[in-house]
Amino acid sequence: MKKQRIFIVDDEAGFTRLLKLTLEKTGNFQVQEENDGTNAWLEARAFKPDIIFLDIVMPKIDGGDVAQQIRSDPMLAHVPIIFLTAIVSRTETKHDIGGFPFLAKPVSLEAIKQCIAEHLGE
Amino acid sequence: MSTTPSSAKLRVLLIVEHHGDVFLLREMVNEEPHSRFVIGAEAGSLADATTRLASGGIDVVLLDLELADSHGLETFTAFRKTAPTLPVVVLSDVEDEELALQTVQLGAQEYLVKGRIVPHLLHRALRYAVERARADAQLAHERELLATLLENIPDRIYFKDRRSRFIRINRALTEFFGLASAEAAYGRTDGDFFDPAAAQQMLADERSIMETGQPILGKIESKTLTNGEVSWTLTTKLPLRDRAGLIIGTCGISREVTAFKTLEEQLATERHLLRALIDNLPDLVFLKDAEGRYLLDNPAHMRFLGASEFSEIDGRTPFDFFPDPIARVLHEEDMAIIRSGQPVYDHEQKVADISGHMRWLLTTKIPWLSEGRAVGLVSISRDISVQKLAELHLKQANADLKSRRQDLMAAVKDLQEAHQDLRATQLQLVDAEKMKSVGRLAAGVAHEVKNPLAIMKMGLEYLSTLPIEDETAPLILKEMSDALHRADTVIRGLLDFSAPKQLEVRRTSINVIVNQALRLVRGEMKRGCQVQRELQEDLPQLALDADKISQVFVNLFTNSIHAMGGGGTLFVRTYSKQLTGVGSNISDQRSESFRVGETIIVVEIDDTGPGIAEDKLAKVFEPFFTTKPTGQGTGLGLSVVKTIIDLHGGTIDLRNLPDAGLRVTIMFQA
Repeated sequence: MKKQRIFIVDDEAGFTRLLKLTLEKTGNFQVQEENDGTNAWLEARAFKPDIIFLDIVMPKIDGGDVAQQIRSDPMLAHVPIIFLTAIVSRTETKHDIGGFPFLAKPVSLEAIKQCIAEHLGE
Repeated sequence: MSTTPSSAKLRVLLIVEHHGDVFLLREMVNEEPHSRFVIGAEAGSLADATTRLASGGIDVVLLDLELADSHGLETFTAFRKTAPTLPVVVLSDVEDEELALQTVQLGAQEYLVKGRIVPHLLHRALRYAVERARADAQLAHERELLATLLENIPDRIYFKDRRSRFIRINRALTEFFGLASAEAAYGRTDGDFFDPAAAQQMLADERSIMETGQPILGKIESKTLTNGEVSWTLTTKLPLRDRAGLIIGTCGISREVTAFKTLEEQLATERHLLRALIDNLPDLVFLKDAEGRYLLDNPAHMRFLGASEFSEIDGRTPFDFFPDPIARVLHEEDMAIIRSGQPVYDHEQKVADISGHMRWLLTTKIPWLSEGRAVGLVSISRDISVQKLAELHLKQANADLKSRRQDLMAAVKDLQEAHQDLRATQLQLVDAEKMKSVGRLAAGVAHEVKNPLAIMKMGLEYLSTLPIEDETAPLILKEMSDALHRADTVIRGLLDFSAPKQLEVRRTSINVIVNQALRLVRGEMKRGCQVQRELQEDLPQLALDADKISQVFVNLFTNSIHAMGGGGTLFVRTYSKQLTGVGSNISDQRSESFRVGETIIVVEIDDTGPGIAEDKLAKVFEPFFTTKPTGQGTGLGLSVVKTIIDLHGGTIDLRNLPDAGLRVTIMFQA
């Protein structure tokens, strides 16, 4: 079975590394991490992910802008983008952000797997 | 001069010295048959004669110039002083005839030359002397009368010759000409005294009189005098005829009428002035006779009647201008004043003018009296329609002003209320600004804390996938996971507390939200808690943000359930009520939010838990204040609840129930 390609963009290198380890340990996913938001788009082109997890608050570039770049690239336009964010209150979590679904940090492995399954199927 | 009856004889005073002459003359006087004369007395000297004359009774005198005490002409002049008017026949000697002639020129009536006297000559001389003296006296009298007339009459009299030169003027004219004596005018003409035009006119008049013999009677003449003054005279001029009836000049009499003329002019001026005044008055002025016919109208009243000239009004009555009913009123009113003789002052009346427009007139009518009897009336009316209208407008304006004032008071009241609302809003805004700061702080904290939490969580997840030999390791991992969850909950609560405070309100039933919230806390109630609901049906719908109110109830229910531990009963009531008065059923805090008479919706949540210590009740809404054991509450729940209720304009109040348990009371304005 072909592994699902997960692209994760977050300036917290500890977080991305742990997420990569945890997901790849399941054996079902191939994960590429990117800690510099400005590289995200070109890296995504190269990696050709099936799904992208994108942090919103990053030092050089905002997650929203990165999503915009990716969405406007015909090669990547179809790839689902899931936002990860720390700054969200409980009442806001039932909505999406700018039309994108999101997960609130700290996120559980279960929630991520469920989210991948929802968007890509088992 | 004495008059003698024809039957009586005239008595002669004989003043002769020479006896022979005396005798002769006596004989001649007395012996003439049918003599009208008789010797009344005889005197031999002038002194004797004077004495005799003093006793009177002498009609005529025979005077000899040669007497013992007087001689010649001297005798006559001396005698005339004694008897100025007595007829005298002077007797002279032959050689003195020339002397006798002189006495005649001095006033003697006749003279005779002694020695040539015969009886009939003597008698004729005596008769002639008497007659002549009588004629002279008459003439003198006439002359005296004429002189008196001419000298004293104030009218100016003149006589002119055919060439219009003055031949006689009286004293009045002399003075009028400014001359010292009348003679100074003689030989001069009008041209010497009057302006050329007037003089020419008079000359023409006089020529016409002399040609036609027709007098000019009562002519008014004006003359400009040399001093520039104008003299007005009433003049009559007549032809002057001699005894033969031939016209030899003119005479005339002029009466100075300048004073009258001036008076007349003043009168005319005054009349014109008065008329101009009446005509130019804006007031309506008219004069009526005793029958109520117009005698005088000024233009203002003519316009009122619709006439342009007085001829259209003269002698007419109101019946010629107004419909009968109106005319009758006007006519009767005036006739009543004429009959009673009582004036009416400043009578205000509403009258239709000729075109039917209603006008307000202020009228004064005064009876016109003649010899104590009213022969008509004078009426003066002022049109005060404009003032009346202004008065009306003023009243209206006052009424408007009053109503505007009331509007204004209402507006002020609204404004005060709006101001209070604004103040409230301002306070809310200040609060909102505070909350923004808190929000930024919370976001920063969340970002900085949650990322480490995320790493820790992911780390725990990873560790839990590894095979672990130590038996306690999974427990430790579980403790760590719980702690992590707690930290996350606090951060989320903080974010909720500081989330943007904007409501999405819709009219909603409070009961529906209560039921919804009760369903959401079903999981918490699995511990054995009972619920009792008393929800009043037909409550009015409220404008609420259903999600936020639901969050409120979930928070409150959860708190109560937790407070009751594993059991107890949760009472939830909703009902409406009308506030009847301050202090009756609301606290001071609530009275700021609601007013007496308003309908409010109440939600009461009672539990059977331990309640809250009285000293802590006041602090329950402060952020991070909690009564729960550490790790079980964030301390933010009731702050969020309070904020949401405030945003809805409602109140929330917590109090301990008398027996046990806590009552939460929430009120909304219906």
